[in-house]
Amino acid sequence: MTQTTTARQGNGSDKGIFSNTAGFSTLITVTVLSLAWLAGFASRLFAVIRFESIIHEFDPWFNYRSTAYMVEHGFYNFLNWFDERAWYPLGRIVGGTVYPGLMITSGTIHWILHTLNIPIHIRDICVFLAPVFSGLTAIATYLLTSELWSRGAGLFAACFIAIVPGYSSRSVAGSYDNEGIAIFALQFTYYLWLKSLKNGSVFWSICTALSYFYMVSAWGGYVFIINLIPLHVFLLLIMGRFSQRLFVSYTVFYIVGLLMSMQIPFVGFQPIRTSEHMAASGVFALLMAIGALKYLHSLNPKGQWKQLLILGGLAAAGAVFLAVVLLTYAGVIAPWSGRFYSLWDTTYAKIHIPIIASVSEHQPTTWSSFFFDLHVLVCTFPVGLWYCIKHINDERVFVALYALSAVYFAGVMVRLMLTLTPVVCVLAGIAFSILCDLVLREEELPTQQDETEESKSLYDKAGKLKKRTHEQPAPVDPGLGMNVRSVTLILIMILLMLFSVHCTWATSNAYSSPSIVLASYGNDGTRKILDDFREAYGWLSQNTAEDARVMSWWDYGYQIAGMGNRTTLVDNNTWNNSHIALVGKAMASNESAAYDIMTMLDVDYVLVIFGGAIGYSGDDINKFIWMVRIAEGEHPKDIHEADYFTERGEYRVDSEASKTMLNCLMYKLSYYRYDSGGSPPGYDRTRGALPGNRGFKLTYLEEAYTTEHWLVRIYRVKKPDEFNRPRLPLAKRTVPTSNTISKKHALGGGPMTTKRRKGMLKNKPTIVKGKKAVKLE
Amino acid sequence: MEALFAIPFSVLEVPNIKIKKPTWLQPPSAMTTFSFVLLSYFLVTGGIIYDVIVEPPSVGSTTDEHGHSRPVAFMPNRVNGQYIMEGLASSFLFSLGGLGFIILDRTHNPSTPKLNRILLISVAFLCILVSFFTTWIFMRMKLPGYLQN
Repeated sequence: MTQTTTARQGNGSDKGIFSNTAGFSTLITVTVLSLAWLAGFASRLFAVIRFESIIHEFDPWFNYRSTAYMVEHGFYNFLNWFDERAWYPLGRIVGGTVYPGLMITSGTIHWILHTLNIPIHIRDICVFLAPVFSGLTAIATYLLTSELWSRGAGLFAACFIAIVPGYSSRSVAGSYDNEGIAIFALQFTYYLWLKSLKNGSVFWSICTALSYFYMVSAWGGYVFIINLIPLHVFLLLIMGRFSQRLFVSYTVFYIVGLLMSMQIPFVGFQPIRTSEHMAASGVFALLMAIGALKYLHSLNPKGQWKQLLILGGLAAAGAVFLAVVLLTYAGVIAPWSGRFYSLWDTTYAKIHIPIIASVSEHQPTTWSSFFFDLHVLVCTFPVGLWYCIKHINDERVFVALYALSAVYFAGVMVRLMLTLTPVVCVLAGIAFSILCDLVLREEELPTQQDETEESKSLYDKAGKLKKRTHEQPAPVDPGLGMNVRSVTLILIMILLMLFSVHCTWATSNAYSSPSIVLASYGNDGTRKILDDFREAYGWLSQNTAEDARVMSWWDYGYQIAGMGNRTTLVDNNTWNNSHIALVGKAMASNESAAYDIMTMLDVDYVLVIFGGAIGYSGDDINKFIWMVRIAEGEHPKDIHEADYFTERGEYRVDSEASKTMLNCLMYKLSYYRYDSGGSPPGYDRTRGALPGNRGFKLTYLEEAYTTEHWLVRIYRVKKPDEFNRPRLPLAKRTVPTSNTISKKHALGGGPMTTKRRKGMLKNKPTIVKGKKAVKLE
Repeated sequence: MEALFAIPFSVLEVPNIKIKKPTWLQPPSAMTTFSFVLLSYFLVTGGIIYDVIVEPPSVGSTTDEHGHSRPVAFMPNRVNGQYIMEGLASSFLFSLGGLGFIILDRTHNPSTPKLNRILLISVAFLCILVSFFTTWIFMRMKLPGYLQN
């Protein structure tokens, strides 16, 4: 933490003192940036220090698994990888359904290090990739901000982004996810775009397209770039800021970027087929039309060209818009996919796509998330925006647009806080830089002014004297601000210090939990590690058949595949809603109905997470209502959400819960044989209730394994012969007599004839008789 | 070629029209744009989208040990949940802090008299500090363990 504060102090004072010496300013820039990198890297290591070097959460496990596969089998085999271990019985074409940038990045690093004979395990590269990239993000932010404003502002922005919780939430050590590298690619693409717009050179546009290509390969959020840059161009056109530079940079970027983005197998032909990408091609066509009009204008500069240009531009825009609408209507262009559509119509996902609404990071954002992730920057963000709007130019239009759209998206989804954070850092950097400028610069300015004036007054005495009297009050006035200024400076420093304290606290307490390994703290401060997840996955990999199918809710699919190495039915790549709904239906049905589904899906084991014993709130019973909703979406006849609530509409598990709830599979698997958790044995500490249905038996499943703290429970699905023939105690066995046999035949056969009887007896005459004889005795 | 274009105009008369930009259509000033932006920022940071989708009550309530129901302003222990009023109050403070910084910039206008300058600076700092520390207190109410251990 000391590093950040020193870094910030250093950069606060650098502008004034060393503005003349290029060498010093470069030195300070490099120092501050490397300190920011170091501080950012260090503040992301809490999870590694507290626990161990381990991959976190859910999606990173898949990324890690496929990276390991790629390193082992080579890139082309990875692209052709058909994973039969996922989505049983469908399987998944991994190479074609994944953004490979992350795997390629860490694979490349692994390859380089191994060429240099540094033997490092791929897991460690995966764990530390995101913290290392946070430093690159800081540098990219520095470049972007200095392109927009000044180098001082850039240094501030770099320091902010290095430690701000909104970004470190997705890039702590071990969270090996696309976002970790994508934010770097995002910032760098924007920097290159502004650079190419400034210069109008093909070189920088090609660089932008290359960086965009990297972004496309890394994260689905590339759609943000391919909509924001056209929007920027469009707004510049509206503002009458068309120029050759704009024309060259956008057209080159669009064409090259389009061709390259289509090289990613997962993206394929989407850039020319789907509505999300149509803004870019529409603006491209519009820019072409306006370029043509401008060219005609240059041929004949006389005449009413201004009106014609505006009119022609409007007509072209209308034509482009109409064409896109018609093509969408005709079905050539796919309409907005649900995920993007829910960004505009915010209640859409809630009503139509429960699987999107069920994910906690897709929830809309509250004020506390804004404050928690951005702290003081949330106040300085509008200030920076104000400066940008006040002193507007081509580039600042861009950052204003970026800011506005990102604020809106962040408001819709907590997850998109991540795209807001960089622009907030940029704008806050600008605001703080100007503030420091005003506070610090004036101390030197009066003396400098005096010197220049004195030296000037030596040359012409008569002319300047008048002006001097005029200017005299100005240098005197700020003189009184000396105290005020130092107080201001101290307050700014205190604010920044509190900001860094908050950042460290938030990163350490809220974002550094691996969620694979849980820690609980006793009253005396001792720490207890709950390693139930790995215990269960380890059991699965050791004690079940190699091809055993494990059914669980989709959250745990990647972990079962990654750690347990077993086949799963559904996983976190939620591409097949009906398959997930089927699993949800099995969980929500009663045991016998669930058994039918499970035999249909060839399930061998069922895995449920139950947090009642230790008070873990993220368990399956708490997620259960989403399973019901998703199942109801696909099977509205069999599952009704209202059945799982009490009559007063409450979601309970105790004796007041509804009958459907008490008898569904998820409930039974969670509470089967449960007798731990507090004073009345069997008390559920998560829900704070005594389960309403206890002491029941399972017919179709049997308990296979339960971890130490009851967190993970694994059940084996019985084969039909195991429960169809219930074992009877000897005393209760009734002996069939010959009478009953003849009855059976009488019932089964038609008219009884001697011939038939003879035939029957002829088949197995001795065996039947022998058995009877033995049993009778 | 020229003659070809001229053919229709031998019959038709070119109308003498002038397309004028409507006078009300002007690019908005920086201040208008910014106030619009700040207003939307105020709404979004207040979680207005959350309020629309989740529809929480404006103020929550609990029942104390005597059975009386007491209003609760802050949804405790949850970062991803809020009541409508607490969101608006906090986003008001965010905007207040932002305005404080902007006022602070205004003080450096050389034509401002000395007294006004001091007043502006103190107002600005009042805004910033009040917003900052009140938000802090809000956060404490929301997360009792905030910035501890």
